[in-house]
Amino acid sequence: MTATGVHLEGVTKSFGAVDVIGGVDMQIGKGEFAVFVGPSGCGKSTLLRMIAGLEDTTSGSIHIGARDVTHEDPAKREVAMVFQSYALYPHLSVFENMAFSLRLARRPRKEVEEKVNRAAGILQLTDHLHKKPAQLSGGQRQRVAIGRAIVRAPEVFLFDEPLSNLDAELRVQMRLELARLHKALGTTMIYVTHDQVEAMTLADKIFVLKSGMVQQAGAPLDLYDDPVNRFVAGFIGSPGMNFLEATVSAHDTDGIRARPKGQPDLDLSVPITSRPAIDSAISLGMRPEHLTLTDGPGLQVTVDVAEELGGISYQYGALQDGSPVIFQQVGARHGLRGTVQNLLPEPGRIFAFDAGGQRVR
Amino acid sequence: MSLKLRRRREMRAALLLTGPFVIVFIVFFLYPTLRVVTMSFTNAALIGGGDWIGFDNYAKLLKDKLFYTSLWNNFYFVLLTVIPTTVIALLIALAVNKLRGRVQALVLTLFFLPYVLPVSVVTMIWAWMLDFQFGILQPLIETVTGRPIAVFKDPNWVMPMIAVVTVWWTNGFNVLLFIAGLRNIPPDLYEAAALDGATAWQRFARVTWPLLWPVTALVLTLQLILQLKLFDQVYLLSKGGPFNQSYVVLMQMYREAFQLNNGGYASAIAMVLFITIVIVSVLQFQLLRIGGRK
Ligand SMILES: Nc1ncnc2c1ncn2[C@@H]1O[C@H](COP(=O)(O)OP(=O)(O)O)[C@@H](O)[C@H]1O
Ligand SMILES: [Mg+2]
Repeated sequence: MTATGVHLEGVTKSFGAVDVIGGVDMQIGKGEFAVFVGPSGCGKSTLLRMIAGLEDTTSGSIHIGARDVTHEDPAKREVAMVFQSYALYPHLSVFENMAFSLRLARRPRKEVEEKVNRAAGILQLTDHLHKKPAQLSGGQRQRVAIGRAIVRAPEVFLFDEPLSNLDAELRVQMRLELARLHKALGTTMIYVTHDQVEAMTLADKIFVLKSGMVQQAGAPLDLYDDPVNRFVAGFIGSPGMNFLEATVSAHDTDGIRARPKGQPDLDLSVPITSRPAIDSAISLGMRPEHLTLTDGPGLQVTVDVAEELGGISYQYGALQDGSPVIFQQVGARHGLRGTVQNLLPEPGRIFAFDAGGQRVR
Repeated sequence: MSLKLRRRREMRAALLLTGPFVIVFIVFFLYPTLRVVTMSFTNAALIGGGDWIGFDNYAKLLKDKLFYTSLWNNFYFVLLTVIPTTVIALLIALAVNKLRGRVQALVLTLFFLPYVLPVSVVTMIWAWMLDFQFGILQPLIETVTGRPIAVFKDPNWVMPMIAVVTVWWTNGFNVLLFIAGLRNIPPDLYEAAALDGATAWQRFARVTWPLLWPVTALVLTLQLILQLKLFDQVYLLSKGGPFNQSYVVLMQMYREAFQLNNGGYASAIAMVLFITIVIVSVLQFQLLRIGGRK
């Protein structure tokens, strides 16, 4: 167990009668970059704050390293947290903000200066140490908040949507800096975001949360390639996966054949080993990047909007029955708007889900 | 043309909105104030003109023993009220801030209730509670001193007791200001400080106190001005006695103006008090600002 960075077992949290976290188990390895991702209100922040000790744990246990910290004071957990609001002390200079924990611990002046200057060096804040937080830009404030965490040399860094107050360009830049920082420090980090792109780009391990439950945990590409349910499939990947209602029309050696609703001429081959009953309803999932144009029979999509990103474009359209479909095209200026296109998923790149949203394999 | 028209319309609206206030201000504040200033250089009675006597009133005031007694009592009263009421209000606000929802609203209302009472009711309540023969607080005093005391007739007790009454009466407003100040401090800061290892005391000393300083400075300054203007409580509780031990500047001004009919002299007293308040409060506010910047 000592090799574990953070270890949660059967962790639950209730606010009064409301259960917000419903039994979470997780293993985060030492030095791993873990990301909690999920829609707003799913309990990501609550879970993070429980690890920090800012919220009581209703039941279950939390270990950091070999220590059981379930009912430990926040200060004794050796975790540092970066808040969405940065939570900088407005009356203190950047230097004093970063030195705050060392001052509380009454560390010698030389040590304080050394540690703060080192952190400021890493974060390019050396020229701003005498300024007050109000005199800094959003990105710089963010760095100060990170600096304050670095100075403490914690066992675990916790980030609660640290980039969501930054503009898009800065967000991408800070994302890279965080990834570099993690490489440089090698400390366990837990990062909360609702943005799956941030999760995919930063994480060693993603935990997808929904309604206080972990839906799936794993490496970013494992979740992308092999989601366990419709929620994860739809959440990971951008733009989101297309879902079509279908009925099972036949069984064959490779799997089953499924007929999308409103497309009587089309049988799609779905490579699964289980055999749902003929005529039973399933949902099919296809990622926009796995749909290709075909001259033969396929999903007939009327394109109405094209998002041109330069290198690639996303074509938005609908089937005859109105179900929305997005597909990706390499290159630009395809001029598909208003046309009807036939699409087929790449072989094997089609997922099946049962009526409850669970993956059918 | 249309720009001119719009300007004129805006001008008219501005005049219409500020006009009533400006008129009331001139008639009931500016004009009387100027009259007091001119009157302080005359030997006028309260009604009717008088002769210009230059700085004679002020010269006389500088030799008036009662004036020094009054001024001293004013500052003694400030000492007894301003800092104590600020400290008490801060402590109450910190405690009330820990409560939540309806309980908080209820407790806050209880603390604010005295503030809505008129001064005559306040003094009545306390005169009754501290009555020499029947006062329900006399047993309490007796346990401390060993005998009942007619507090408003005792030279040592009179000012401190008026201070107690005043603090009880006006504290609610200060509590309210502090509560507002405390609510302005983001809870994140306390969480960050807790993670940084700050104890409850360190969170107060290093987060709450510095961030609350502007409110504290405001409360201190407002209190200073208010308490230098002490009159009602003294007039209603002790009439300045015993042995002038609770005589204050406004009390003296009142006596000169309305009992002795010395309008000019009373105006000079008023002017000196006014200037004193301006100087002291500006001085204090500047000092507090410097204190806050450190
Ligand atoms: N202090 C609280 N009291 C009651 N309910 C809360 C409290 N904090 C959070 N919640 C509820 O818990 C749920 C999860 O909140 P949160 O963890 O902040 O979600 P997320 O960070 O994923 O957006 C929400 O439904 C929220 O309303
Ligand atoms: Mg959140």
